[in-house]
Parts: sequence; C-alpha cells; structure tokens
Amino acid sequence: MRTGGGWEEVEFNSREPVYLQVVRHFKEMIVAGKLEAGQVIPSRRELGTLLKINPNTAQRSYKEMEERKLIVTEGNSPSRITQDDAVLRAIRAELLGEAVDAFVSAVRKVDVPVEELLDLVKSKYIEALSSSPADIAAEGGAERP
Amino acid sequence: MIELKGVRKRYRGRYVLNGLSFTAEKGNITCLIGMNGAGKSTVMKAIMGLVPVKEGQILVDGKPRGRWMYEKISFVPDHLTMPLSMKMSEGLTFMADFYASWNAERAAELMRFFRLEPGEKIGNLSKGTAAKYNLVLGLAPNSDYVLMDEPFSGIDLFSREMIADVFSSELIEERGVLLTTHEIGEVEHLIDKAVILQNGKAEMEFDCETMRSEEGKSIVDVMREVYSR
Repeated sequence: MRTGGGWEEVEFNSREPVYLQVVRHFKEMIVAGKLEAGQVIPSRRELGTLLKINPNTAQRSYKEMEERKLIVTEGNSPSRITQDDAVLRAIRAELLGEAVDAFVSAVRKVDVPVEELLDLVKSKYIEALSSSPADIAAEGGAERP
Repeated sequence: MIELKGVRKRYRGRYVLNGLSFTAEKGNITCLIGMNGAGKSTVMKAIMGLVPVKEGQILVDGKPRGRWMYEKISFVPDHLTMPLSMKMSEGLTFMADFYASWNAERAAELMRFFRLEPGEKIGNLSKGTAAKYNLVLGLAPNSDYVLMDEPFSGIDLFSREMIADVFSSELIEERGVLLTTHEIGEVEHLIDKAVILQNGKAEMEFDCETMRSEEGKSIVDVMREVYSR
C-alpha cells in the first residue's frame, strides 16, 4: 500500500524507546499534513518493513496509538488516523509546545532581548518557508535532542 | 523457550562458559553480545549439540535437548557448510531431503528476497552472497527457533542492510531468534532482548525497550558499563 512519502527518513535514537519514536513520527506526519484525518495507515506488518523495526515494536506502537486515540481500528478493517478534532488539535499543540521549549532552552544561553529574538525568528521563518515549504515539519522533528 | 542453566564448558584448560544462564523466548529476537573470544559461538554450538556440555542444563521448550529438536531449531553458522560443487538450487534439494520441516515455498520466497540466482555454484559465491544463502537455508524450514552466528560479520554494507531487513519481516514473526554479534550498532533497534556475555557468564540480560524507557540507556551504554567494571 502506498501512503505517500515520509516513512523512509526515520532515524532512530538509541536511548529512547523505539515504539515511542514511532508514535512521535506518526504525530509529526499528522501535523505536517502527510497523514490526514481518517486516512488508512499501513498495517502493522507493513509498518515494520517500512520503518525497519521488528514486528513486536510495530505492534507496541499501534497499541500505544490506539490507547491514545491517535488511530482507530474498527472490527477487521484497517486502522485509520482519528477524525477526532480534539485529539488532532492536542497533537499539534504538543509538538509545537515541545519545539518551542527546545528552542527557548537553546536560545536562553544567549543574552538577547525578546523583541530582537522575535524579529530574527520571524525573518528566518519566512525565509525558510519561501525556500522549501515542505521541509519545515520534517526539520522541526529532526532537530529534537 | 530456549533455556540455559548454569552451563559450564572447559576448553584448553579454561572455562569458556562458566555458569552461563539465560533464556531466549519464542516471538522475540534475542541478541547475545560479547567481545571476540567471549564464547558466543560456543553457546550456539552447545545448544545445537555440536560441542559436548557436561555441566549445567540446556532446555528447549522445557525438555532436555536431543535429536527431536533438530526439526525445531535451525542453525545458521558463520560459514557455509554446503558442498561447494553444488548449485544453490541443489543445495536446497539437499536440505529438503534432510529436514521434514523444510518449506520449499519459503525457500523460493527467500531466494527472491535476497535476489539469489539458483543456478549459481555455491563455491563461486562472494562472502555477502554466501551469507544470504546461508540465511535462506536457516530460515526456510518451519522451525520455531533460528540461531544465527554473526550474520553481519565481514560482509558489505548493502548485504548487511538486506540481512537486517529479515528482522523486520514476517520471515521471523512468531519465531524465536537468537543471534550473536560483536557489533551491536546494526541491530540496536531491531532486537527485543540483549544478553551480554563476559567471563563465561551472562553479565546482563535485559529487555531493550524497558532499558531505554526506564534508564534512558542504549545497548551500547550498557555494554560500556559492563566492560568498564
């Protein structure tokens, strides 16, 4: 099954549980619009092959996502991304909050007035958007510590 | 479950295995990690009955090991043991004659998976191709357990990647895999459980995801701790 790109570039960090990194990858794909609300996702087995993780890890990721209502599985039909707006909004807020926290903690090492910082952020952000709009979300994910 | 209890094995006046105990469960990928000479291959051979063990117990599904288990466990040694004059296709027939558990359909599927040419002579295979063919022989039978001795050792990057793909495929699903390696990097994300072998004992035996979530440690972090003790 083709679900579009975004599966091959996952680089796992070896100190964080792999199944949680898979869940995070799903969240990033959702907020980047690469996975849409209600979209059918790969089966457990397909996910294992796509992300090169073992079948137990794929299983555990799906279980976690089901428990957090990120995906829904009805009967024997394939799992889908949730259509619950509250859940989708919460994911966006969570990822955005985490990215901003990481940014803030990095930038606090430099003594800078908030206005200057915001101007800089604004101009850099506009620059990034105009050069490669599609990469923003992916980069945000990769920069996580 | 494959279970070792207090296994000791003396070799040239020295205990290579000195009270080794650990388990490898069905449905899990267990990795036996150790430096060169730590006794990893000896463990594999001991389970398969290729070296005699007088002290300790080796149980497979709760029963002492014996002839019956050769249909249940397949062993992929670190070198090919097939007659070199055979073609790969003849090697498959050879295996089919020996093992009731041989699954010809899966063997064909594996040959395609690794893009192997059945007509090629075994003696002419490159190291990477021989390693892939070796895995075909080990994974084709309907065995519950597969032991692999250093499946990544000494072969090129792309062959290693292809072999690593086996671990995220349905080829190993439901089976118990026990592999050895002295270089964990490649399989760090793929294994369920690690057993660190040192001084003939299992110095550490742990679930990798639990280690990451509870202590934030990678397998390499744990190895570094064990070796610096």
